[in-house]
Amino acid sequence: MDMAITAARTEASPARGATSAVPAPTQLALRLAGLPISSWAFAVRLWIAVIISLLISFWLQLEAPFSAALTVLLLAEPTRGQALAKAGWRLIATIIGVSASIAITGFLSQSGDLILAAFAAWMGLCVYAAGLLDGYRAYAAVLSGYTVGLIAVQQIDSPQRVFESGFSRGAAIAVGALSITLVNNLLFAPDRYPRLMVQLAAIHRRIREYAKAVMQDEVTDLTATALLKREIVALRPDIASLATEASSGPLRGAAARSAIVAFVAELHAIRALAALPVAADPAFRERLTSVFDRRHDEPPSISPVGHVIDSAKNSADATAAPLVCALSELLRTDEEVRKNLVALKSGMRPPRAWRAPLYQSNRIAVESGIRASAQFAIASALFVLTGWPATSVPLSIVALVIGLGATTPNPRGFTTIALIASPIAIALAGAFEFLILDGVSDFPLLAIALAPFVVGAGLLISGPNPALASLGRLSLIFFMVIFSPSNPQTYNPQTFVFSSLFVCLGIGLLLAAQFLIPPVSQERRWRQLIASARHELGLVLSRSDRRYAPEEAMFRDAVRVGQIASAGSTDLQYRISIEEALSYFDQAAAIRLSDAKLTQLVGDPTDSPLASLAAEARTALVDRDAQRIRASARSLREAAPGDESLAIATSAALLLAGAVIEAAPSQPAPTEKGS
Amino acid sequence: MTHTFRELVVGGVLLAPFVTYALAALVIVLIIRPVLRLTRFANMFSHASIAELSVYVTILGLLMLSI
Repeated sequence: MDMAITAARTEASPARGATSAVPAPTQLALRLAGLPISSWAFAVRLWIAVIISLLISFWLQLEAPFSAALTVLLLAEPTRGQALAKAGWRLIATIIGVSASIAITGFLSQSGDLILAAFAAWMGLCVYAAGLLDGYRAYAAVLSGYTVGLIAVQQIDSPQRVFESGFSRGAAIAVGALSITLVNNLLFAPDRYPRLMVQLAAIHRRIREYAKAVMQDEVTDLTATALLKREIVALRPDIASLATEASSGPLRGAAARSAIVAFVAELHAIRALAALPVAADPAFRERLTSVFDRRHDEPPSISPVGHVIDSAKNSADATAAPLVCALSELLRTDEEVRKNLVALKSGMRPPRAWRAPLYQSNRIAVESGIRASAQFAIASALFVLTGWPATSVPLSIVALVIGLGATTPNPRGFTTIALIASPIAIALAGAFEFLILDGVSDFPLLAIALAPFVVGAGLLISGPNPALASLGRLSLIFFMVIFSPSNPQTYNPQTFVFSSLFVCLGIGLLLAAQFLIPPVSQERRWRQLIASARHELGLVLSRSDRRYAPEEAMFRDAVRVGQIASAGSTDLQYRISIEEALSYFDQAAAIRLSDAKLTQLVGDPTDSPLASLAAEARTALVDRDAQRIRASARSLREAAPGDESLAIATSAALLLAGAVIEAAPSQPAPTEKGS
Repeated sequence: MTHTFRELVVGGVLLAPFVTYALAALVIVLIIRPVLRLTRFANMFSHASIAELSVYVTILGLLMLSI
């Protein structure tokens, strides 16, 4: 089901949408029935893992063998490290969910209605937590939520069985996770890191192209910069899963993380360069652009440019100094990216390990949590009113779809896909149970009969079309829920009709509840994000802003730019919002970099007389007053002795910050307070 | 001499001794991971994932034989 999530995310990012679920380096030219052999390998691995998980569950006589098979389907990630990371989070979330189930049932076992109310509140809390996280952490948050639905709500009439049911679910999940891990290890599931290496190199190439375009004074597209940032920050969750891939995984993860942080810093350096007048000398520009033509494994050969920059550094020219500062920052960040990519390739520690902090809007998360809670409350109230005896089953389906939908950008779209997938799954499960198997009780026959269904859906999941991939995954999951393999299989048409009806009814009712209380709209999300960017620019250099190094804070801002780039709805609005977001990003980054230089300068005991000048410059930076910043830069330059390179660099950084602030479009009056 | 296995009891639920061994082996593998990284263990094999799985299975087997 999480491929559906990935798919929904890739829908929002066209550049990632081109990425197949199977890593490109492992894709062989060989094709079978028009599909790459790696897709077939993925589908066959999935089938083998499902069979092994069912076999072990039957052998151990687990209470819910279908839970083990479902775990395999949920953990079917294209690479080994991702599956392992997700399995770890799934186990942790199950433990949290089971504990919450025991607590909720223990406190409120006398009243079923109160259990439902407490569960709605818990669901809201988990959706809120998911809104503050990303990747598999967000998945774990919602899983903790709907685990309560699968355990406490399903056992609402027999609370004494909650502990037992929690244990059997935990055992089934452990069996499923072990099966897929074993199969992925023995059947050579690909690693994420070679594909990541290719993606990072491609992004670096595009950043260099952008740098060259800016240096040649060509027209550059703002939207392209924002989309590039979105692509960079979208790699963050994938990089987190590198740690589980191999023993060298944590180092590779650190190198990749530092590389994406350095990408953002390099993009900022280019944007700062774009805010300045172009260097006049065409020969110098030519030499500069040639620096960006070298390969990653080539040693740095910036000496010709470096000499020019070094000689210009000491010049007192007010126009040359910021240009030199921006150029040396660009070359420094480019070199840092190169070193990080080399470290990633060789599995070595990166020269400097950056954190990659995540920005998530607290206000949007709270709103999503409250809305999810209300949607669940409406659906459960309707089911309670019907007075049917087995409504706990559709309620847990509702919880599951709310939870998984909460990790996608468009929860209602996710519910719609689920509603389309359910009749497909019902038809397939009906044909499978009553036409193909029709009373068979041998395990080998079950395994063979499952093959076309699981392999077929596996091929869809690993295909390039994200909508088909999510449809394939959801159909397969509902198929497994409705068929519900057990030992011995009951082949009861009544059970089949009821579970089919409940799956459709649950999802249909949830969709209706989502129309009644719609999830946070893209428009609202966009407004909140812009307001938050504006609000945080006002807080730059405050105590809360100093938690991170300038590069790390830049990355956090880039995450927000990426979210704004995904949330824009109409064309004009989209362009305006991107321009505004980028301008806030540039100003905040330039201010933080200048502040870091000032701290360095004042931290040096020989320069203590400059402390008052530095304080003055800081105030000007916080006020974003370009004139005063420039005046402070000049005073600093004049107060410093002639050969004081740090003071010169600080003065140049201040001039650059002044230029960036001046280049920013005039800001509209704040309309909404940021979160 | 018959080898005796102690069962793990969580809240009155008996767990197979294998679960204890599997968890202990996992903890040991996680502890020796930095050593594997330092010795560049992964670079010695064409399929590092199978080599690391084999380390786990070896530790699990040794634990079951020795405790």
